[in-house]
Amino acid sequence: MSVDALKLDNVKKNFAGTEIIRGLNLSVAQDERHAVIGPNGAGKSTAYNLITGRYQVSSGKVFLKGEDITNLQPYEVKRKGLSRSFQITNIFPKMSVFENVRCSLLWAMGYKYSFWHMVGNQSKLNNDAEEIIEELNLKDRRNTLAGVLSYAEQRALEIGITIAGGSEVILLDEPTAGMSVSETEYIVGLIRKVTEGKTLLVVEHDMGVVFDLADRISVLVYGEIIATGTPTEVKENQAVQEAYLGAAMEEH
Amino acid sequence: MNDNAMQKSALSPAMPWILAAAILIVLPFIFTGGGSITIMNQIGITIVLAMSYNMLLGQGGMLSFGHAVYMGIGGFVAVHVMNLVENEYMWLPLPLLPLVGGLVGLGFATIIGSFSTRKAGTVFAMISLGIGELIAACCIIITVFFGGEEGISGDRTMAPPTFGIEFITQKEVYFLIAFWVLLSTFCMYLFTQTPVGKMANAVRDNPERAEFVGYSQRWVRYVSFCAAGFFAGVAGALFAINYEILTEQNLNLNMSFQVLLATYIGGVGFFLGPIFGAILFTLLQTVIGLQTDLWALYTGLVFILMVMFLPAGLTGLFAMHMIPIQLGRVGMLIKPYSKIFFPGLAFVIGIIALIELINHVRHHGEEQFMTLFWVEFDTTSFVPWGLFALMTIVGFYISRIFAKEVAEAWGEATFVEGERS
Repeated sequence: MSVDALKLDNVKKNFAGTEIIRGLNLSVAQDERHAVIGPNGAGKSTAYNLITGRYQVSSGKVFLKGEDITNLQPYEVKRKGLSRSFQITNIFPKMSVFENVRCSLLWAMGYKYSFWHMVGNQSKLNNDAEEIIEELNLKDRRNTLAGVLSYAEQRALEIGITIAGGSEVILLDEPTAGMSVSETEYIVGLIRKVTEGKTLLVVEHDMGVVFDLADRISVLVYGEIIATGTPTEVKENQAVQEAYLGAAMEEH
Repeated sequence: MNDNAMQKSALSPAMPWILAAAILIVLPFIFTGGGSITIMNQIGITIVLAMSYNMLLGQGGMLSFGHAVYMGIGGFVAVHVMNLVENEYMWLPLPLLPLVGGLVGLGFATIIGSFSTRKAGTVFAMISLGIGELIAACCIIITVFFGGEEGISGDRTMAPPTFGIEFITQKEVYFLIAFWVLLSTFCMYLFTQTPVGKMANAVRDNPERAEFVGYSQRWVRYVSFCAAGFFAGVAGALFAINYEILTEQNLNLNMSFQVLLATYIGGVGFFLGPIFGAILFTLLQTVIGLQTDLWALYTGLVFILMVMFLPAGLTGLFAMHMIPIQLGRVGMLIKPYSKIFFPGLAFVIGIIALIELINHVRHHGEEQFMTLFWVEFDTTSFVPWGLFALMTIVGFYISRIFAKEVAEAWGEATFVEGERS
């Protein structure tokens, strides 16, 4: 059996004495598309912040492809092949779309803190950046400052920054939040395309998107996973329906 | 950018540099007046310093209140080296001295940056302020190195001649400075095009996100900081060569604030901003400084007005006008601009005259006559006071009216229909 791409082992987090994450266990298999759902305040974003080193874990372990990454710095986690997006758009607003993407590629392509390469001359780097922009469908926005893009375009760029550099494990945090139906379709299509052959963990409120995208779903309620399974299993799970899904499910 | 412009810039990346070199070579033959070479030398030094400062503030998002320290230390060591060369303890041609200053600046920045760049924002600013105070205080205490209040002086002409040049005249020094200005600017430009230079912008914009694409924000800041220290050191050595003396005044907080002012006036958001800032600031300091004791007041006023109304600086003002130029609508602006010019000028002259009058009466009250704008008049008479007050008030009032017209014309000249699809 292969090692899980991402594994959380009894992860806990206290904020000022209050336990927000109360023993989180989660396994995401290689190449799986795994969704995390749960009501507001369940701790979904907190879980992401614990995995990616934004917050320190109070106890428990996080493993990436079998390697312990608990409490590493965000940049160390990224270097080990895990990349994330943010619920609130988190881009480089005063840089062009192209520069946003190119900067996201730099470390993964081995440039580190180089001050002896000219980025303009690195053809592979620039071609890769152009390709990603093409994939994002942002070609005519290439030289626009990221800060003045439309919301949907910024969300697309957010995903572009996340997948640039070819991390094997991708964490997306509510990629379609606040979007119109057509924008949601665009983003879901984009996610499907750019995470091909990668492991995806996605937090999402739109149940349509979740059931459409995910191979398996975990339900997080009050800092604990109460169920994990295929979309059908989760839909039929009694505990899930009581705790959370009820109203949301009836729409689908 | 349209295809044509793209092609142009792709064809000739060397063009701006060749042009800059040509301008630097020609300048001393155009401005031959007594003080002009001295002023140009000062401008050159300020350019290198302000550009190195902008590596922190503009490119890296680090607000430093103590950047003069790195220039000062580089300069002091440069003077000491000059003295060592004079006494034949070592051999070094003068044109290489800026390299020594740079390495000293780099070394010192390496030490200070190792802890000051840990955090950006207020923490960084406060540490830079503290270091600035500390080193300025050391100047008075450690007299062996800093020479106390009278500073340390040397003699650049005692270095071994370079191709027969002994750097006795100001013009010879000018070419040395011009060479280093061009070289430093070029290197600083190249730095912005490197991976770490690009990431400096990313960390400035969004340090957290930069970490999530794999970069430690602290290391990115540290590298920029060290590079900025290097070029500040170069500026220090150029200062040492030009003035042959360094004192506490060259590295104290006042000097650091001057760098901040010059850079900001030029425009921190643009690579070329500090150059324009350095030119304007030095001209204010020297040319205006010769005319009035109040040059610092005017510089301060310019700074405040810039911060309030033109945060993108002088370069931002030029850049703003690129839009109507590209749209071919500059013509729409000429009329309102020329309308506001004279009332605006009357207002500026009026208020400057009032300030100068008050200053004259307060500090040189025993002299009944004063000369202002090449006109001599009686300060005890009511006429100049009334005239200048009238100019100020009427100028201000009419400018306000025309300002609306300028704003409207500006809106029309830059309006692009359906820019967003």
